Amino acid sequence: MNRYFLYLVLLNMLTNVIIFVPKFLLQYRFDGMLISIIIAIGVGMALMYVDSLVFARFPGQGFPDIIQDQLNKPLKTIILVTFALFWFIAGLLTLLGYIDILHRFINPELSKAWLIAIFLLILCFVIQIPTKKVMYLLEIILFINVPFIVFIFFKAVTSEYLSWDSIFEAGTHFYSMPNISAVAVASYVFSGYTNIIIFNRLFKVKLKGVNFLIIFGLSILTLFTSVMVPIGMHGVDKVSEYIYPWILMVDSLRLPYSPIERALFIFLMLYINITVISVAVHWHVAFELMKGTFSRGKGKKKNRIVLALFFTIPILLVIRIDYMQPELLSVYWLIARMFFEILAVLGFFFFLKRRKV
Amino acid sequence: MNQNVKRMMVVLVFLLLGFFLTGCGFKDIDKRLFVVSVAIDPVKENPKRVLVSLKFAVPIVEKISNESFIISQEGDTIAEAVRLMKSRVDKEIDFSHAKLIVYHEDVLKDEIEPNLYYWFIRRRDFQEMSWVAIGRPTALEVLKAKPKSERLPSNSLFLALGRDGTETAYIIPEYLFDFKKRFGEKGLDPLLPIIETKKDLFDINKVALLDKKKLKLELTPKETMLLNLFLTESPKTALKIADGENSFIIDTRAVKTKYKLITENQKDPHIKVDIHVNGRVEEAQFNVRNKDLKQYEKTANKDLEKKVHAVLKKIQEANVDPIGFGLRYRGRHMEKDDWKTWQRLYPELKFIINVNTNISDTGLVE
Repeated sequence: MNRYFLYLVLLNMLTNVIIFVPKFLLQYRFDGMLISIIIAIGVGMALMYVDSLVFARFPGQGFPDIIQDQLNKPLKTIILVTFALFWFIAGLLTLLGYIDILHRFINPELSKAWLIAIFLLILCFVIQIPTKKVMYLLEIILFINVPFIVFIFFKAVTSEYLSWDSIFEAGTHFYSMPNISAVAVASYVFSGYTNIIIFNRLFKVKLKGVNFLIIFGLSILTLFTSVMVPIGMHGVDKVSEYIYPWILMVDSLRLPYSPIERALFIFLMLYINITVISVAVHWHVAFELMKGTFSRGKGKKKNRIVLALFFTIPILLVIRIDYMQPELLSVYWLIARMFFEILAVLGFFFFLKRRKV
Repeated sequence: MNQNVKRMMVVLVFLLLGFFLTGCGFKDIDKRLFVVSVAIDPVKENPKRVLVSLKFAVPIVEKISNESFIISQEGDTIAEAVRLMKSRVDKEIDFSHAKLIVYHEDVLKDEIEPNLYYWFIRRRDFQEMSWVAIGRPTALEVLKAKPKSERLPSNSLFLALGRDGTETAYIIPEYLFDFKKRFGEKGLDPLLPIIETKKDLFDINKVALLDKKKLKLELTPKETMLLNLFLTESPKTALKIADGENSFIIDTRAVKTKYKLITENQKDPHIKVDIHVNGRVEEAQFNVRNKDLKQYEKTANKDLEKKVHAVLKKIQEANVDPIGFGLRYRGRHMEKDDWKTWQRLYPELKFIINVNTNISDTGLVE
């Protein structure tokens, strides 16, 4: 189904504001941020197109199903576990990032371990339901939340305190050398397409070109709003002082006629849903990849072990995360992710393309 | 059967989750004291110390809703003073409803200590959209005032500054995040409205202009109103037009201000300001006629041009830039050293002001 692909990409575009993408990009606002963003759009679109071409040859099959009978077992296991690990970390960083925000703004008294445990209870339930149902859940959550998020974006862009001159000032620094890590971080907004390795099971027909056009437009909109709106609101010179430029940007919006005057809390509530479903999608992929390594019939017990790991690792991590510089970790991962993505897509392209279905 | 048990378990888990929905963290609302406004005054004996006052709303009184009390505490910094204050109240101090921060002028007269505004930004519970202002005679006096029309503590100030209640061009509200932005942004300087109190009455019709460090200039109410034409989109106001001995007043319905920096020809760098005023005559000291409207418009144009020019000159002479001409210049120039060029340019710039008034009629009478 065509629109499902769109949802997967849209999901990552929405979550980028909570895992330090704007924060990192804004450091380069005078040194090639814009040019890096444009390169990232090119790279991201190209990778997405190639990846969708490869998987279009295997309609209705996920990555584990495709390589099921092609590779010998140890190699297969290594590949799948590596992939699963990457997807697990992707979800984990989103979750930890959001837990940190919740802990700061909504419930500073409750310990992070408890907070994350509540999330994990729901997540562990969601990730093991069939792929199709995860997709339905994603669709419902996007339908409920996106209109409100778009409303907040709209309020931000039309705010009287958004100084367009600051935005233009960032624009005048267009001609600078691009920065490779900025490119890597910015390309995160596209990486939703990588979930196709499992969600391809739902895609029975070929993707239409118009999807890529929509994604192209949305990505430009997302990347520019996620850096330019904080610049307009907090000024081009000192915007990088903020750890959460987006959250503070939303806190600067006043909705005098809404039930809650402080837009921040509405935004955080909406993002609880977006975060949960984003982590659920990533972890569902990780979970299904792990499942692919088990031989048939013996799965149930092992599934539980995997779920137990999914439950305990985040809790153990969240207790230590404050001392491990979560921002830095996220950024390293974001950069590593792009290179992994390129390798993976090239790998798919050369190895899967040759094989006849 | 097995299916049913599973379903019951799911329902049970969700019911258990309900225990987390207790709302106020671990301190319930009756164990919290809500701060509505904060005042920061200098300490006379020691200029390094500050006197912090918090105004708390008392919510439980039934007949008098406007009940509040104020606690003041000296300290080396705001944070220290607030910590000391915690030992003087019985409940948890909650800043999430604090929407007004008032400074005493003297805090800003010499160099302002950045922590006096950074502290509010750094704390998670202060809203970014709290208002900041200067209080006169002292910041504490502003907190103490209780206008008769006020129904909730400090609410009259919130209404006035937020334009939810009264709408006037004499008030230039300033939000905390914008205040901080203006301190950091090259080419856009901070400003603060001045709240004057006299016997439970407020007067917010002046604005203080700061450079990046301290208070530089204070504008009169009329100048404040004219400056506001640049800062707010179509402010509602009345413009007094002098016509020789006589004068008349235009009630404005829409004012649009645009400006353009024309600096490329080095001979005569200037800022071109276009102001469009739409309105009708509200009051006049002579007989006004609908057929003479064209002439009144001409008079209004000339008079406004002169007045706006005077305000802009005054601001320029103090070398402050609350409108953001410098930022506009930076945003239109690609050079790396555009800021330095601007600093050289600004004191010598000329203003060419072009007012275009449209008077629709003379009201209900001629």
